[in-house]
Formats: sequence, structure tokens, C-alpha cells
Amino acid sequence: MKVLIVEDEKTLAYEVEAFLKKAFYLVDLAHNARQALEKIEMNQYDFVLLDLGLPDKDGLIVLEHAKKHNSEAAFIILTARGNIEDRIKGLDLGADDYLPKPFSLLELQSRMQAISRRKFGVKNQALQLGEFEIDLQKRTVSHNSIEIEITRKEFDLLSYMLLHKNRVLTRIQLSEHIWGSFVDDDYDSNYIDVHIKNIRKKLGAYGNVEWLETVRGVGYKIRKQD
Amino acid sequence: MVGNSQRSRIQNQKAGLKLLTKLTLFITLSKLAIVMLFVFLLPNLIERIASKYTDDYLREQKKKVMTIISKNGINYYLQGEESMGSYTMLKEEYISLAPSETAFYPDTIETSERIVESDTLNYRLLTYNFKADNKRYLLEIGKTTATISQYNRPLQKIALWVLIALTLFTLVADLIYTRFLLAPLGKIIKSKLVNRRFPFNDDPHPVITSTSDFRYLDSSLMTLMTQIHEAFEKEREFTANASHELMTPISILQNKIENLLGETEVSDLIQRKLIEMHRTLNRLKKIVNSLLLISRIDNEQFSRSEVVSLKVLLEDVMDDISHRLEEKEIGFRLSLKENITLKNCNRDLLYQLFYNLINNAIKYNKPNGDITIQDSYHAGSFYQIFIEDTGIGIPAEDIPTIFNRFKKSNLSEAGGYGLGLSIVKSIANYHRINVDVSSAVSRGTTFTLVFPKEIIY
Repeated sequence: MKVLIVEDEKTLAYEVEAFLKKAFYLVDLAHNARQALEKIEMNQYDFVLLDLGLPDKDGLIVLEHAKKHNSEAAFIILTARGNIEDRIKGLDLGADDYLPKPFSLLELQSRMQAISRRKFGVKNQALQLGEFEIDLQKRTVSHNSIEIEITRKEFDLLSYMLLHKNRVLTRIQLSEHIWGSFVDDDYDSNYIDVHIKNIRKKLGAYGNVEWLETVRGVGYKIRKQD
Repeated sequence: MVGNSQRSRIQNQKAGLKLLTKLTLFITLSKLAIVMLFVFLLPNLIERIASKYTDDYLREQKKKVMTIISKNGINYYLQGEESMGSYTMLKEEYISLAPSETAFYPDTIETSERIVESDTLNYRLLTYNFKADNKRYLLEIGKTTATISQYNRPLQKIALWVLIALTLFTLVADLIYTRFLLAPLGKIIKSKLVNRRFPFNDDPHPVITSTSDFRYLDSSLMTLMTQIHEAFEKEREFTANASHELMTPISILQNKIENLLGETEVSDLIQRKLIEMHRTLNRLKKIVNSLLLISRIDNEQFSRSEVVSLKVLLEDVMDDISHRLEEKEIGFRLSLKENITLKNCNRDLLYQLFYNLINNAIKYNKPNGDITIQDSYHAGSFYQIFIEDTGIGIPAEDIPTIFNRFKKSNLSEAGGYGLGLSIVKSIANYHRINVDVSSAVSRGTTFTLVFPKEIIY
């Protein structure tokens, strides 16, 4: 998948680039609106990650133009402005998602995956996880075709960890995914533990859940399946 | 207490007298005093006026007599007699003319007794000595004083009634006029102070009055409000800009940490350090986010056009937060009697408001404590929700400042109240919801939300 990152803050652009490259995306960079429009006219992208606060032009104008040339692409607005009008305008202009800065790279990837499923019909829904099968489309977990009842939040957690499998996810990262960047001064997000405990209990009744590892003092990870 | 201070303010208003009342009272009393003084002094005044009138009258008579004598001679009166005397039928007036041999020549007016036909009467008496036909004569003209003072009593009575009637009449006029005169004052207070909502975004209109003092007050208040508005505006702009500028570096740091955490060759020690950094950064992020949220609410950047069922909203909040109850084994009871729907509101903000309050109720609760959410509806006026916990409570001296940003409590080990309650206050203000707090240390806290009827669907 080909991604264009439109971001004037170069350090930030490089971080996003590094992360996405690791996740096997092809990445192009643009640091202002002019560059962005040039590249969009020349190439076909699957994703355009667009910062609204560009030095030469408003990102929303870029979005409007880019939509004409690259209507197939999925646009994700990344902005520190974060006011409601921008969000509404962006979505009105055809942006597929909106992530306020500062965002988590893991969250970005999760959103991109969701768009891939929704927009590009990427069918990787039935994922194998040990003895369990996880259907991202239907949002179900099953064991030998028997559906296991888990809550919406538990499923969100499980699929998020699965997406970033073999990577340690901190409690902050997990709770931010579940509760959003909800304004709440409990930065010790120990509440995640309750959910993990429940997942282990519910799935453990059917089979082995050793793939869900606790990394002491850090968080949790789903171990790569061999 | 927030509620108490408001209540005591209202009480102060009640305890004092209104300006209008004071003025009316003063006018009435001063008028009555003047009337009483006048009525009391009336006899004296009448006495003086009457005696002045009598004296003038006597002098006039004397002049007439003297004119006739100089024209017609003294014999016109004496008719050949030695002396002459005459009085009216009831002896109110008398005149006498007699030769005089005394060495002194009086020309006086005095009050003295005279015996007229065996009646002793009090007369105002003019005595005049004059020369006619080479002889000295003494002229006496008298008028009884009784005729003068006999009207005192009725006059006093009539004057009293007339004056009281007049006083009452002018009092009513005064009242109406004073009320009219003072009306702009009430208008100024209402339009400039009471009904204006911080941060005074609406344009104030000057109150129309011809009284320059009120115009001065009105314009001074408007200037003051503008100054407050500008100062507030500056602070808000600063907060918004500062938060925005802070977000970019936070973004970079967060993404760098995330990328590092993803590296396979990072040692356990470094990983742990990175997590700590991430946690601190997250804290910074939340503070900036909170400030930004408050500034956006104060900036009225959120729409207020949604219709929200409070019951559903509270259930959603509980759904999100209930896992925290389990951990602390806190009992929870949501018992709303009413099914109230709010209009003209922002669901996300109200969600945040309840989330923060309930989250606090959990955070500052004791293990095995309780949280109760109840309501009461005063149909047609307002609706209340009470969020009651059995937690550590808030010391009385802290209560006035708990809604302030970054206010820390000495007692709370959990890191103070942070910005959660500031956000609650901002959201509440934005929806015209009143927040009251009552608390007892180590017994619990109750937050009362009062929803005005304007936002009840």
C-alpha cells in the first residue's frame, strides 16, 4: 500500500514514515501543500495522511484538490488544531478519518487497517490466534466454530493487540485505544488489567491462551504464532 | 460552598432595604414632620398675622379719623361735647375721643383691658395723642383680640387634614416619580450584571436614561465589562495557542517513544525507562488536552443542538466506567425517578461532565464505599441530579476552590483534583447547569447538578 505523508514538521513526518515502513507500507513525504499537490497529481496513493496546518496553504484546500486527482485514495486528517469545524469540514470534503494530534502511531495503523477493510475490501477477517478464530468483519471470536461471548471493549482490545502482535503494548496505548484520548487524569491506566483478566477467563474456558502474555511493568503482547 | 454563597448573597439582598423604599420612607417622614411642625406653630403664626392685620386695620381707622378731623374739624366728632365714645353692637370694636392733659404724647398699639359697659374685654388698642384747635386730644381705637384667636382651633384642624391629604397626594406622586427615576438603575443592574453571562460575548446595549449619573454608571460598567472580556479573551487565546503549539512537540516525542518501543533490540531496562517517559508524556498530553478542551468550551466552539436522554447518557457513562467500580468494590445505585430529556446541549460534553464526576466519586471513594445517583424534578422550574459518594470528602476550606484549575487538595493523595472539575464547571456553565457541592470530610461528597427548565425537553 502506498502512503503520502503531508506534514510540515519534518521530525514528525520521519517518525511516521519509519513506523509505516516497518509495517510494510510504501511511503512518500511532502512538507508543504505545493509538494503534496505535485505528488498527488503524479502518483496514485492508497492513503494520504494530511496535516491541516501547512505553511503555504490550508490543508483543507489540499484535500479538496487532491480528491479530484486521487479520488480512490483514503484521506486521514492529522491535526493539532482539533477544532470541531475543521473536523466537520474535513469529513464533509470527503476525508475518511480524523486523528487529532498527538496521536499514537499504533492507533494510526489501526485506523488505516479499518479503512482498508471498509474501503478497499481487504479480506483478512478470519485470523487464526492459537486455537481461536477472530473475525474482524463480524467482530466475533470463536473456538471450533463455537462463538465465544465477549464484550465490545474486550473485542476491541483483542483485535488491537492482534493487529500489533509481537509488539508490547503499554497500558496507556491500550486504554487510549479503548477510551480515546478521553480527558481524564488517571494516567495509570491499570483498568486495562480488568479487561485482560476477563479476556483470559472467557477464552481460557475454551482453550489455551498462553499467546496473551503479560510483560511485567510494561503491558501486554500477543506472541507471534508459529 | 458554592450554593451557600449564592444563597447568602440573596439573603443580603433581602436583609437590606431597597433604595426606593428608603427614599419613600424618608420623604414620608420628612413631610409628616414638616406638617406636624406647621400645625403646631399654626396658632402662633395666626396670632402674628392677625395682630399684624389688626394693627394695620387700627392704623387705617386712625388715618380715616384724622383725615376727617383735619377736613371737618374736631367738632364733627365731638358735636360740642367734651368727649366722645362709640362701639359696635357686640363691643368688638370701639372708638373714643377725649381731651388729654398728660405731659407725654403716646402713639402706640398695645393689648390691654378695657371696661365697656361693665364688660371687661381684652382689646388691641391704638392710642394716639394729637392737637386740634389748640387743645390736646387722646384718640383710642380698639378691637377685641378674642375675635382674632377664636378661629385657631378649627383652623388648626382644617389645616391638619388639608395638609395630610396634600402630603398623601404628593407622596403618591413622589413614589411614582421615584420609581420612574430609579427604573434605569434596576435595568442597568439586570442588563449589565445579573443577566450577563461570563465571558460577556454578547454586545451590551446602553440603557436609555436621561439621568446622567445612571448613564455614567452604565458606561462605566460597560467599560469594565469590556476590559474583563478583553483580558479573558487574551487568556483564552493564549491557552488555545499555547496548547496547539505544545501538541506538535508532544506528538513528535510520543511517536519517537512508540517507535523505540517497537524496536526488538531494546533492552528491558531501556524499555522500562521508555514506558516511564511515555507515562509522563501522557500526563503532559492530558493536561494540555484538558486546557485545550476548557478553552474550546469557553470559546463556544461546541454546538449545542443535540437532544439527550439523561438516563441513557448515564447508563453509557456507567458502561464505560463500571470496571473501575469492580476494582475498588464500590457499590453503585442509579435510581432516577424521572426520564428527562435535555435539548440544546452537546452530548459529548455532557458525557464528559458525568464521566468526570462519577470518576471522581470512584477515585476519592473508600474501598467498599457507595455511590448513589438520584434525582428530583420540580416540574416547570428545574431538575436536579445528585451524585453522592461515601468517600474521603472535601475539607470546607477547599470547597470554594475545587473548580479552579490545578487546585490541589492537601488531603488527597491521588494527586489533587487536577483539571477534571474545571472541565465539569466549564461544561456546566456552557449548558447553564448549576453545580453545587456539599461535603463532609471522611463521610462523603454530594455534587448537585441543577438543570434549568430552558434545556429540559
